[in-house]
Amino acid sequence: MLKINNLHVVIGDEEILKGLDLEIGPGELHAIMGPNGSGKSTLGYALAGRDGYEVTDGSMEFEGEDLAEMEPEERAAAGLFLAFQYPVEIPGVNNAYFLRSALNAQRKARGEEEVDSMNFLKTVRASLKSLKMDEALLKRAVNEGFSGGEKKRNEIVQMAVLQPKLAVLDETDSGLDIDALKLVAEGINAQRDGKRSFLVITHYQRLLDYLTPDRVHVLSDGRIVESGGEELAERLEAEGYAFLEETSEA
Amino acid sequence: MSALLEQLAPEAALAEDRYADIRRRAHQRLMQHGFPDLKTEAWKYTSLRLLEKRELGSGQGESAGAPEALPFAADVIHFDGGVLRNPPAELPTGVRLEPLDPAELVNVDYGDRAGAMAWLNLARFEQAWRLVIESTLERPLVLALTMPAGFATAVHPRLRIDVATGAEAVLIEQQHDEGAGLVNIVEDIELQRGARLRHVIHRRNAESIWVQRTRVSVSADADYRCHALELAGRLVRQDLAVHLLEQGANGEIDGVAFIDSGQHVDWHTAIDHEVGHTTSREAFRIMADGSGVGVFNGRIHIQRGADDSHSDLNTANLLLSDKARINIKPELEIYAEEVTASHGATIGQLEDSALFYLRTRGLPTEDAMALLKFGFAAAPLETAEPEVVRNWLIEELQAVL
Ligand SMILES: Nc1ncnc2c1ncn2[C@@H]1O[C@H](COP(=O)(O)OP(=O)(O)O)[C@@H](O)[C@H]1O
Ligand SMILES: [Mg+2]
Repeated sequence: MLKINNLHVVIGDEEILKGLDLEIGPGELHAIMGPNGSGKSTLGYALAGRDGYEVTDGSMEFEGEDLAEMEPEERAAAGLFLAFQYPVEIPGVNNAYFLRSALNAQRKARGEEEVDSMNFLKTVRASLKSLKMDEALLKRAVNEGFSGGEKKRNEIVQMAVLQPKLAVLDETDSGLDIDALKLVAEGINAQRDGKRSFLVITHYQRLLDYLTPDRVHVLSDGRIVESGGEELAERLEAEGYAFLEETSEA
Repeated sequence: MSALLEQLAPEAALAEDRYADIRRRAHQRLMQHGFPDLKTEAWKYTSLRLLEKRELGSGQGESAGAPEALPFAADVIHFDGGVLRNPPAELPTGVRLEPLDPAELVNVDYGDRAGAMAWLNLARFEQAWRLVIESTLERPLVLALTMPAGFATAVHPRLRIDVATGAEAVLIEQQHDEGAGLVNIVEDIELQRGARLRHVIHRRNAESIWVQRTRVSVSADADYRCHALELAGRLVRQDLAVHLLEQGANGEIDGVAFIDSGQHVDWHTAIDHEVGHTTSREAFRIMADGSGVGVFNGRIHIQRGADDSHSDLNTANLLLSDKARINIKPELEIYAEEVTASHGATIGQLEDSALFYLRTRGLPTEDAMALLKFGFAAAPLETAEPEVVRNWLIEELQAVL
């Protein structure tokens, strides 16, 4: 599904990712953990194609295609989704209208027909309900005046509607209370069908308790420095990132 | 500018009818003051030199054909080529249309050169109408003003609109120019006690120079609300002055202007609280793309003794290109007590982060930009009533983004 090889990403004059390798197979859920500033969000933005995130070396392959050659909207239509760490407010743009335009734009790019409005509304409503979000949010402007938690859950609603093949979730759990966290985890699990893949960026092990990741990676200073199973997340939780230095010195 | 005077207002051409003395007086005032130049404060950002360059012919223009159909039921009065050729055979119940009594024009005063275009209108108008809305209208009343492609002369429409005590109406000015002449409108609107007017201005112009001066007087407990969708043209100057004359008067202006290359739009609004216990609100947005130029001057004047008045003025503006220009000036002049008056003014650009966010959801750049522009520009139209009119305005906006 996703194959990242020796990825180097530069913002301005600063190299942030310094040779990152990562491979995610179909149906797999991987977690990336790592200290603040280690480059987690940079990885998400580089995958999504943000301007100013220059790939200077290495490659990102998504289903055999070179992501670096694609515009952000092409990546989306191909099935890549990024849940933002800080979802952006879009004043004046109605949430439902936005969602439908986005879905139709992707479908059009894939040569599919426009979505039927009834079906669309049904999907959105079901997803709002499962995330315990007020339907009134559909009529509000995208993320505008949403609480921190509502913004994060709204990212999951978007994911549920857009049904990506690979979802990169950047700290979607931060700032959520335990109930909201469970809802988000359920939202992710509901999408797991053995084919869709997930890259879950998180600070805390607690989200992973509900997700059962296939692999856990530790990102530090622009590189994956450690990979393992769920037990790695537990160790990070217990010991913090301090042990990274020990391992790298050893 | 005297050549311009000669061209636009040759004395010999003044018609001899019952308005003749009024025209002569206006002509003299115009000759005395001349036209504004860039040193005239109110015309600082808008030059009329284009007028000089154009050799406008004289005489009535051609017919423009029927105005664009509206997606809702309405009564239409069509100023075809700027004049009312055939007074409507039948007017809706509660509406009267008659030539304006010359006595109404004897004492008008447009001041010095800042008011030159209004003096010019008074010196050169062919027709002056008085529209009376005597009782509440069942459906919107449309004043369609259309200028045809071949239009290259000058017209000076003049209209007085009275909304009688307690009457409610939706009045839509549907203005569409395809020509390259001068349209110089003066309109006076009076709301009697307790009247309610929803006033919509929808304008989409080509090359014509379009100058419109709208003065609104609002009596006790009357409610005036303007919604403007300014889709611009080569040169547009709109003056909209709302005078709150008696207690309980309310005046509101919500407008959006979308200006592109080769277009210049200047909106000068003024809300004047002449007495206390009056309220006003204004929100105006400009979006300028290409080499478009936008000017917004919003003046709130709370006169001495107009205590307990409340006003809110907000202008947000969006520059869509490096070459576009927007000049804004909110002016608050408060001489009363126990007043609340707030104002805000911003000029910004489309947010890269918002654009990226939308693109990651699959929207191509063009569509994403259109959505962001729409999100910005639709706000002032969202309070328009009734719903059919609001939806029409929003669709018209969407169509140009
Ligand atoms: N737009 C930017 N310009 C310059 N440096 C940036 C920018 N965005 C992030 N960085 C830097 O890149 C590093 C990694 O940031 P980020 O990927 O956000 O880390 P994380 O998500 O792991 O906390 C940090 O040192 C940060 O200061
Ligand atoms: Mg981050």
